[in-house]
Amino acid sequence: MAPPTEDQLTKVSTEAATNFVRTFYPALQSNRDSISSFYSETPAKILFNGNTVADGKAVQDIFTNQMPVSYYEVQSFDCQIINRSYPTPTPTGPKQPDQRTVKDMSILVVVSGSVRYGDRDPAKPQRGFSETFVLVPNATGGDHGKGRRSEYLIEDQNFRLVV
Amino acid sequence: MTSRSRARPAAGGGGHDGGIRKRGGAARTDRDGDMDMDGNGRAARSNRAGNSRPTSNRQQGRNKKADVIQRALGDARGSSQASVRSGKGAPASNLVDVAITGWQKSKSSAARDRTVDDLRSFLERRVSSQTKGPNIKIHKSRVEGDAFIVSLRPDLVERIRKLNGSLFAGNYITVEELNTTDTALDAELSNNGTSAETMDTKSKLATILSKRYYPDTKLLDMSKLSSDPDLQALGVFNSTSTQSKFFPALMKVWDMQFTTASEKHAAVESVSLASNQLTNIAAVTSLAQTIPNLKNLDLSNNNLADYKSVTGWRWKFRNLQFLDMNGNPLSSDPNFKDTLLKWYPNLQYLNNVQVRTPEEVAAQKKAPIPNQPPIFEDQGSIGEHFIRAFFPSYDNDRNELIDGVYDSNSTFSLNVNTRAPDSPTVKMITQLPARMSRTFKGVEKIRQLWNDLPQTRHPDLNTQADEYLIECHPIHNLPDPTGQNAHGVSGLQIMVHGKFEESVNGKIELRSFDRTFVLGPGSGAGGIRVVNDLLCLRAYGGHEAWSPENESIPQALQPPVGAIAPAAAPVTAPIAAPAVPAASTTLPEGYGVATPGKPETQVQQEQMVIQMSNKSRMTLQFSEMALSSNAWNLEAAWNNFEQLKAQGTLPADAFLP
Repeated sequence: MAPPTEDQLTKVSTEAATNFVRTFYPALQSNRDSISSFYSETPAKILFNGNTVADGKAVQDIFTNQMPVSYYEVQSFDCQIINRSYPTPTPTGPKQPDQRTVKDMSILVVVSGSVRYGDRDPAKPQRGFSETFVLVPNATGGDHGKGRRSEYLIEDQNFRLVV
Repeated sequence: MTSRSRARPAAGGGGHDGGIRKRGGAARTDRDGDMDMDGNGRAARSNRAGNSRPTSNRQQGRNKKADVIQRALGDARGSSQASVRSGKGAPASNLVDVAITGWQKSKSSAARDRTVDDLRSFLERRVSSQTKGPNIKIHKSRVEGDAFIVSLRPDLVERIRKLNGSLFAGNYITVEELNTTDTALDAELSNNGTSAETMDTKSKLATILSKRYYPDTKLLDMSKLSSDPDLQALGVFNSTSTQSKFFPALMKVWDMQFTTASEKHAAVESVSLASNQLTNIAAVTSLAQTIPNLKNLDLSNNNLADYKSVTGWRWKFRNLQFLDMNGNPLSSDPNFKDTLLKWYPNLQYLNNVQVRTPEEVAAQKKAPIPNQPPIFEDQGSIGEHFIRAFFPSYDNDRNELIDGVYDSNSTFSLNVNTRAPDSPTVKMITQLPARMSRTFKGVEKIRQLWNDLPQTRHPDLNTQADEYLIECHPIHNLPDPTGQNAHGVSGLQIMVHGKFEESVNGKIELRSFDRTFVLGPGSGAGGIRVVNDLLCLRAYGGHEAWSPENESIPQALQPPVGAIAPAAAPVTAPIAAPAVPAASTTLPEGYGVATPGKPETQVQQEQMVIQMSNKSRMTLQFSEMALSSNAWNLEAAWNNFEQLKAQGTLPADAFLP
């Protein structure tokens, strides 16, 4: 198979980041039962304001049990390919280089936006946040209901209130 | 365009050569292909001089790009952020005034002008001749009474002082440095006034201030200034020029009454600027610099009509609780209350009406997930060295930075969050904004873009660490440039939040930014390469968001968990945390210092004990007990300490005398 072109790679990464941002933040807001399905089985690192969270299930627990309703507004986001030949984990071990396709890439996504906790009133103060993700291909599972399945999962996440 | 200081960026501490320079030789990875974390094997590699490109013809492209960013951010914010620092070269305010007296002979003005020119060249010649290098020019000078005053870069002051007592045209000249505060005042009130007049003005202003200051209520009442007979007598309202200089001078005089910042901050809680016919706060904007932590501000009965007229104080007075703008047209704006509530997060009373309770103020500060200190997991201090060297390099010599740690597969992208932090529009998150970014891959493309981007100035990480929030942790499965590791190699992910100033068409703009780096093993300086560099710009939003809700011990000092400590890794203070205060207790000889034969874990534990002791004021012995009983987890030990302290169960001798 011919190696993918730069254009193909850009298209795959941009679509993946866009789909992720478009589904993840609404889930935090109003589909919290699906939160864990956005995460890889054993994420490398999850940080919220300097607090370490173990995995996607723990994130979902925090959002369902502790977090007030949150209104997120994504104001800008950007992505870059980290590794265009990513050893995607499969039940039989990580993919070998000759098994990898254009979709086997890791993607850096950085989102800048604002969030308002607990109150829909737009006059209430909102906080600015910056959030960095590393997304990796979803080879095994992850289904957030209605038959939809993320093609990429969160391997690393770092959320910070910055304003 | 002249290039600014080319001083090689110094990496912090530890004896590492952290300068960002390209190095020859192949990528060094350890057996697993991970980043070279011990920093060994460096000596064998030869340095190659940075491959600098000519810097001409950059300005045009730079301005174009700058314009776009400028518009994007400027429109969102309404108006640009004022800045005290000037863009390029030494800021004018950094110049030192030196007075030369005893030179004057001639009475006729034509002869005097000639003499001044001669004197200037005399000084230039004599100062230049003291060292090799380019000739020194005096660009700024003036004659005041008998004195010829030259403004010089601070490093030249010592040289010109050596000319004290020199013979010039038959006279022995006297060279004296002018007191800087007097000079500043002088510059602000200079209407050909002599120094004597200035001193007089200064004491008059001090008298006026003392009449208007009420120490009991900590009120500085500067209302109805134009009807003050003392000020009228001074003639400050006779021309617009003196009027505009008067208030900053008044603030300067106020400043000079205090010897310490804390004394100054404690002196005033309330300021009245009522009934001053202000149409814009521009004339009084220096209040925000002089009394930044003001709680109560009376601006009533002025003529402030729109947000633009007060926007200069939009990000100031972060502690403001009471604001009176009655009697200004702006008060009747339908969004007045909502806007001001957003501008001032601590505001409780607006136009004498309660708009927020103290509980509401407290509640809104609290994020549902508490703010913890930055996590900085950085074995071998590679991330720290990188980031310490990065911003000075980015500000001063981007070419060297590119040549040092970027390669043909490095990716840089820039995106701009054009939304102001307090934008009133609510947007459904399903409508995503267009990605306003472009991606640049490889040394030359990144170089081209960086040379087009405006010059920047980031705060000094050593002295202004609190203006940054920096986090760092390992990342795996990175691309392996050598192709040896099928599953990739490991490196670091660094997330930086902060601010910088950039010079756009001669104006200094303040921006906030978020910048994420992915570093992998490579052939660049320090054995690394930049895999990804993703920069997001946004309107300035301060740094109070990450100031810890309660000061806690930086977690970065925690001992490494499940990782093998590199041999003889330099133990340096984490950059994300304020510098370690000097130990105030007498340490036993060699304590906390790596010595031959001492295990690395012991060094780290001793350093933690010192940290704990500095912070808790407990003795080393008790600090060690606190840490060892909490499995050497600094945070746990600290929490434990606070608990015990609150319960009052700690004996008096637990603390340092």
